[in-house]
Amino acid sequence: MEDRVIEFVRGLRAAGVRVSLAESMDALRAVEVLGIVNKDLFRESLRATLVKEADDFAAFDELFPLYFGSGGPAMQNASEDLSPDEQQMLQAALQAMSGRLQQLLDWLTSGEGPTKEELEELARRAGAEWADNPQQARWVTRRMLQQMGFAHLEDQIQELVQRLQEMGMSQQVIEKLMGVVEANREALAEQVAQQIGLQISQQRANRPEDLHGSDLMYKPFHSLTAVEMDILRKEVQRLVTQLRTRAALRRKRGSKGKFDSKGTIRANQRYGGVPVELKYKKRKLKPSLVILCDVSRSTENVVEFMLHLTHALHDQVSKMKSFAFYDRLVEVPNEVLEHIRHNEPDAAFETLRQMLPYRPYGTDLGSCLETFCQQHLNVVNGRTTLIILGDGRNNYNAPRIDLIKDLQRRVRKLVWFNPEQVREWGTGDSDMLEYAPLCDEVFSVRNLAQLSAAVDKLLAS
Amino acid sequence: MFKDIADVQTRLSHQQYIASDEISTVVYLAQSLCKPILAEGPAGVGKTELAKVWAKALGAPLVRLQCYEGLDESKALYEWEYAKQMLYTQLLRDTLRNMLGDVNNLAEAAQRLAQEEDVFFSENFLLPRPLLTALTADEPVVLLIDEIDRADVEFEAFLLEVLSDFQVTVPELGTIAAKHQPMVLLTSNNTRELSEALKRRCLYLYVDYPALEAELDIVRLKVPNLGPALAQQAVAVVQQLRNMDLRKVPSISETLDWARALVTLNAKEIDEKTLNNTLTVLLKYESDVAKARRMMGDGGSRGRYNR
Repeated sequence: MEDRVIEFVRGLRAAGVRVSLAESMDALRAVEVLGIVNKDLFRESLRATLVKEADDFAAFDELFPLYFGSGGPAMQNASEDLSPDEQQMLQAALQAMSGRLQQLLDWLTSGEGPTKEELEELARRAGAEWADNPQQARWVTRRMLQQMGFAHLEDQIQELVQRLQEMGMSQQVIEKLMGVVEANREALAEQVAQQIGLQISQQRANRPEDLHGSDLMYKPFHSLTAVEMDILRKEVQRLVTQLRTRAALRRKRGSKGKFDSKGTIRANQRYGGVPVELKYKKRKLKPSLVILCDVSRSTENVVEFMLHLTHALHDQVSKMKSFAFYDRLVEVPNEVLEHIRHNEPDAAFETLRQMLPYRPYGTDLGSCLETFCQQHLNVVNGRTTLIILGDGRNNYNAPRIDLIKDLQRRVRKLVWFNPEQVREWGTGDSDMLEYAPLCDEVFSVRNLAQLSAAVDKLLAS
Repeated sequence: MFKDIADVQTRLSHQQYIASDEISTVVYLAQSLCKPILAEGPAGVGKTELAKVWAKALGAPLVRLQCYEGLDESKALYEWEYAKQMLYTQLLRDTLRNMLGDVNNLAEAAQRLAQEEDVFFSENFLLPRPLLTALTADEPVVLLIDEIDRADVEFEAFLLEVLSDFQVTVPELGTIAAKHQPMVLLTSNNTRELSEALKRRCLYLYVDYPALEAELDIVRLKVPNLGPALAQQAVAVVQQLRNMDLRKVPSISETLDWARALVTLNAKEIDEKTLNNTLTVLLKYESDVAKARRMMGDGGSRGRYNR
């Protein structure tokens, strides 16, 4: 049983749940205390010790039955209730059926499914060993069922019914028989699905870690696939915690805050109320951020992570406002931020697209800066860090360098996050080389690692 | 101490707390593995209440530490009472003089004083705050660390020693280990992510809103005066509200408040008028109230909200 639990922990880890060695030891101790007889308790003891995040419950619930289930619902024997005559009829009818599919019908009527070895052989033939992510499980399962003959099963059952009728079996018995066969069919399909799910999970656990977040952090945003984006979205949660801890521990304290009258009275009780020690409130310096994001197609991925990171860290900054720009500039509504926080990027960008409909060659930072200076200048002041996230490609519109200069003077710091490599700046319609010297800092954020490092640096200053 | 999981459930229910299988299993595990519990979930589902009834069920004292931003060691652990120490020194001056009256030289006086040193640096002058109280108690206690997510990250790091080894280090006295391991419950409303180090040391319990049946049981237990039919109706309304997209969905405590309000108002059934009058007990935002009225299709908002 211990081996099985450890295998299960490996499966969980491969599914992206973080389980430490100490936690798996806790799980084993918990199992020792509660035993394995009661399945619910066993499940509960594993869950309380291994899964420490409500988001990971789904992965746990998916894997638990695969590792500790009975392998799927049991099948029943259809011929049990039949009279000897009828049993013979069934046997004869089955014998008369042709070839490969006979075996499947045999399984379904007798209630004795394929043995473990047979299942494994079938899985191998369906290509289960080459699958290593859960999305493929359904596909492999379908192929395996097809190979077992499920595709032609309907016809076969019809034929069987016909033969039995010809042999003179009563309609009632046939219907009952078919009911059991139908139930067995579902049970067998479920068994196969579980077998495949388990095998894929185990294979994923044994595979070298090629798809893990830590490596993907270095993969450029524009070449991430949908699956990889999903993995990274999970990774962002962890990243946020790390960044927050670092930011909190490192945050600069103001040299002197206001006089703290309450604290002083409290501290000087010990001297009989004579104010010997004066107390001051600690002043924590938190940055205040204003973010302008380019939301054209090419920057969608980086914008999502940027908004996710910064807004998850909202408690580490004193004020934060985000604007999205394309051909116009709009403030990012709370609804969009909520979607991003809950990892629903499609809904988020859907809303943004409605506000900023797509137009070919639409991006126009120059006029957006103008809107910003005319309508939203009140959100920036001498303490603000203004971040522009974009590739600086303006479609040959006026870059409005003058406005950037003006903004740079107004804010504490003007920072540019560019998702392109440095050598691409200034090529084609990119005005980046003109913008760059005007900014206090410019970061190239091609991947999540660079992005988080840049955000980290912002929080520190 | 609880004997088994069923025992946890019965003894908690004697304290008027309906514990799901999940909750009672985790409580039992926490006791047998000597590990703290980290309870997460939406506000008002009875996380804090769990600690209270846990203590009552065991007959153990409850020590509560409410976390907030800026909470530090001196407020959570101990404070050194300089005033008391100074006062003692003053009052004992005569005794000291008598004691040292017959010595011949400075060295002898110092040595004699050193023998009595412990008097001046003893636990007498330690003013215990919740954490130290829990550790030095003469019987096992239940320690409730409420809303840990409100405390600073620094404080979370400080808690790690307490939670894994059940000991604290006081510079003046050295390390103080717990006489009895306290049973610890941390609660969090998930306003921020907790560090992995903290999570690793705890058993995890996610308390969610209960299903209809469970909530009905709670209402029956806590507000027995409410008629059964009315209780059923009320809980159904609350469950329906929770499925709506509201700024703040009603919690269990609000369900109970509402149930009590219905009893006080002597309501016979939940009709338009009653609902209109009492909806503000359940919903705390004007926009939510308006939305709920619109959804329930009652007449109170006709014309104004119906578009």
